[in-house]
Amino acid sequence: MQAVGTRNSRVWAGRILFLLPVSLFFIFFFIYPFLFTLATSFTNWRGIGSMKFNGLANYKKLLLDPTFRKALINNIIWALSQGFIQVPLACLIAMILVRKPKGWRFLRTAYYLPNVISTVALAMVWVAIYNVNGPLNAILGVFGMEPKNWLGNPDTALFSVIFQTVIYIGYFMIILLASAMNISRSLYEAAEIDGASTIQQEIHITLPMLRGPLVTTMTLAMAYGMRHFESTFLMTGGGPAYATTTMGIDLYLKMDALRYSEASTAGVFLILMGTVVITVLRKLLGKSDPMSEMAQ
Amino acid sequence: MLRNLKLVVVLMVFSLTFPLFAQGQSDTAPQKEIELRWASIWVGNDSKAPAVEALVADYNAKNAGKIKVVVEPQPDYNAYEQKVRTSLAAGQAPADIFTIKFNPTTATFYGSKLLMDFSTTMDSDWKATFDAGSLQQSTVDGMLKSLPMETAILPLWYNMDAFNKAGVTTLPKTLDEMFADFDKVKAIGMAPTSQMTGDTNAWTSMIWFSHFAVAFGGTDVWSKPFTDPAFVQAATLIKKMITEYSTADAVGLGAGGSGGHFLAGRTAVFSNGPWYAGRADLAATPFFSSIKIAGLPAAGPTTDFMISRLQANICAASSKDKAKEAAILDFMKYLTSPASITKIAETSGAMFAIKTDYVPKQELQKQFYTAANSAKTTAFDLEAAMGSEVTLEFAQQLGALALGKITPEEFCSLVDRKIER
Amino acid sequence: MKSKQTPTWIILNILKWVLLITLLAVAVLPVVWLLISSLRTNLELQVSPFGWPEKFQWKNYLTALSMASLPRLLLNSVVVAASAVIVNTIVTAMGSFILSREQFKGRDVIYTILTAGVLVPVISFMVPYFSLITKTGLYNHLSALVLVYTAVNIPVSIFLVTAFMKSIPKELEEASIIDGCGFFRRFSQIILPLSRSGLVTAATFCFIYSWNEFVMAMLLTSSIESRTIQLGIKFFTSQFITDYSSMYAAVIITIIPSVGGYIFLHDKIIGGLTAGGVKG
Repeated sequence: MQAVGTRNSRVWAGRILFLLPVSLFFIFFFIYPFLFTLATSFTNWRGIGSMKFNGLANYKKLLLDPTFRKALINNIIWALSQGFIQVPLACLIAMILVRKPKGWRFLRTAYYLPNVISTVALAMVWVAIYNVNGPLNAILGVFGMEPKNWLGNPDTALFSVIFQTVIYIGYFMIILLASAMNISRSLYEAAEIDGASTIQQEIHITLPMLRGPLVTTMTLAMAYGMRHFESTFLMTGGGPAYATTTMGIDLYLKMDALRYSEASTAGVFLILMGTVVITVLRKLLGKSDPMSEMAQ
Repeated sequence: MLRNLKLVVVLMVFSLTFPLFAQGQSDTAPQKEIELRWASIWVGNDSKAPAVEALVADYNAKNAGKIKVVVEPQPDYNAYEQKVRTSLAAGQAPADIFTIKFNPTTATFYGSKLLMDFSTTMDSDWKATFDAGSLQQSTVDGMLKSLPMETAILPLWYNMDAFNKAGVTTLPKTLDEMFADFDKVKAIGMAPTSQMTGDTNAWTSMIWFSHFAVAFGGTDVWSKPFTDPAFVQAATLIKKMITEYSTADAVGLGAGGSGGHFLAGRTAVFSNGPWYAGRADLAATPFFSSIKIAGLPAAGPTTDFMISRLQANICAASSKDKAKEAAILDFMKYLTSPASITKIAETSGAMFAIKTDYVPKQELQKQFYTAANSAKTTAFDLEAAMGSEVTLEFAQQLGALALGKITPEEFCSLVDRKIER
Repeated sequence: MKSKQTPTWIILNILKWVLLITLLAVAVLPVVWLLISSLRTNLELQVSPFGWPEKFQWKNYLTALSMASLPRLLLNSVVVAASAVIVNTIVTAMGSFILSREQFKGRDVIYTILTAGVLVPVISFMVPYFSLITKTGLYNHLSALVLVYTAVNIPVSIFLVTAFMKSIPKELEEASIIDGCGFFRRFSQIILPLSRSGLVTAATFCFIYSWNEFVMAMLLTSSIESRTIQLGIKFFTSQFITDYSSMYAAVIITIIPSVGGYIFLHDKIIGGLTAGGVKG
């Protein structure tokens, strides 16, 4: 008994020791700021001077604000596009690259390049691409399409900025590729002997094996979609007529106008909303815990 | 087992203390002289940078051993503004000396005890060197927590080469003449004006709108409700400008694109402040020498006015230390002295709220000074008068207005909702 | 393999390459554009964003290289990014090990809270971060950036590394327990090596983030001694004028180390590990 007790307490000491650093970082850089944000969201704080408690007034104002509701819908479209277009595309590419076609190392690096260069430059390129006199209209003109002001028309602006994000699959491709490379080769060899075609192998071996990582990347993609801010802000400033506004842009502009308490409210709402959306979607995907699937 | 435990402990201690080893050098040297930190935006490729740098070096040399001004260079103006408000919100002054763009939003800073109130520390001789109107505009509830330094007028810029090609040789005197001229410019296949609804302030179109609003509603137009007929009229005209007299990409366009059209000679009329005159890329255009600067042609009851703004007001951190406060004031006095301002103006072409005898030699910059001096009255632009929230709503709804999704009346009432009363 | 040369196979193969090349074009386009733009004048760039340089403006690179304190800024960036990657990797590897391989009450709650951090728009935490850093006296120190970058990347890293560690078969670990391996040996000798590709992926993201981060660097530092290269690039942007072509030249110069770091992490570390992989 004595020995078991010692062993047990030693295991617990190890667990606590191992979790301590990550917890300390998290407490100082996430819990404390979140509590600060939560606390200020119930006040009328403008960054300067005193704070006065004003209950749920900011939340009420936020929910009644048509701009914020527009941003919320945009964010949901955004999150879904990233989760259900960007990630599947990234998965397809990872499945191709894991079979090491010609130049796969080069492709792997090249696909990730847009994540490395500055967002300012990236935004400038795409603003130029989407311009009325830009190359996109020139290409489409060959097929007889009328030139469009892609970012200037509220009907096409959101689609255009989302497309610019979704087409860059590098980030999620890297995660999925790393997972796909870990799949044991023997599974494919056995399938090959059974006469399974490449496509059959992908459907019956790779996809099920990648199910865990897929849910992980989808969750990440949707989380990023919920808090998306920078590239769209640089490209459109959220316009025209709030067509491309996201909750992140709204939050930034609230701080810009020194409405700190309202920005806090938007921040709290964004975090809670994101948690809800992602939990619901994970349930729909049939997993409450993607990890359980991964451990085979 | 024990060996591994040690390894892990070492790893942990390392991971937690590593950041401390990776420290940057800091101001640890003990000093007797007073050090003033200036978070300066006039650095890098800013046109005021060389003169300001020389002035600071001069000042430090003269006050060696007593006061030392340390410039903390601030790149990227938006990020700088963010830093100023974040540090004030966290209860700290961003530096001993820093600048703000004065408008109703930044006037909120006056509520902070962290800023020095010059209304009590400024002597009358010093006060007399400033433009009285600018000082008045920078005063809120009797407090003067920022000194007006850089100002700007926001006139219209005419590419006369383009106008000549269209058969127009003189600047329009009335709105009807202006539109007639624009039609001629259109006839030679050129867009008459640079307009935009992008970014957070629809900059060039916002300037046009401000001109229209003041022309119809007077210099006190910004104190009226936004549903006032003057604003509705201005909104109707700006819509016409965007849809009929600008480029096809005006809706959603940013300031870079709007300026680019003018630089490329694709538009004939532009609107911007004096800083644009010093650009190397503008000087490289074939029509550079033909550019004419003017106010809006007579459009409504108010004429011969100019749209202006306070571009940079300078602030100081309040200090309990009397010696430091005196040092700050000494430097501020030096920086805003007519002699210093003349030096900055000479190399930059910028305009200031401090009275000097300086007249620019460069033609385009001279035109700015002439336009400013010949205006009978001045009025703020929309952003300077109403702050960032109203301007944002203006820019966003301007797109909807131009696309015909809302009427000028609806546009005005949407913007009106954002005005705090 | 030869038996696969059917019409369907050929069509699919063509489709595969069309997809790969289209995505490649879209991905490389901004970099190519940056390269070309960095050799044009600002006027050319403003007049027509897409175009070939009338004359190659190599002086843009001279301007970029003459940027004040470029070597110091680069060195700072290397120190900050490398430190953040090291600290982040150690901290998350330890945490993820417990969260993935140990069974105890409350584990899932801790995991959920930690990973909910991926939803946080860090920009809304600027005021508390600034307070935290100034109150601990770390303002204008490189260590402030190391701490913030480490922390900001913790949720993503935990998310990825825990997932990887979970996928390691239990049998391997059980065998080691029977062999008498203790807690720490299981971590350092079994789990850590096996989750290397997960750790490297997380480290890559942390490195790229730390290398490119600008907002926090601007907020938390004030002098050259503790600033990073991203602030240097922004010196080509003043209140009214942006010298885009020189800025792009500077961007190109600063991409080189980050792409190098990325290739190093991926090809050298993961490449060696997964030399086997799947054949196609």
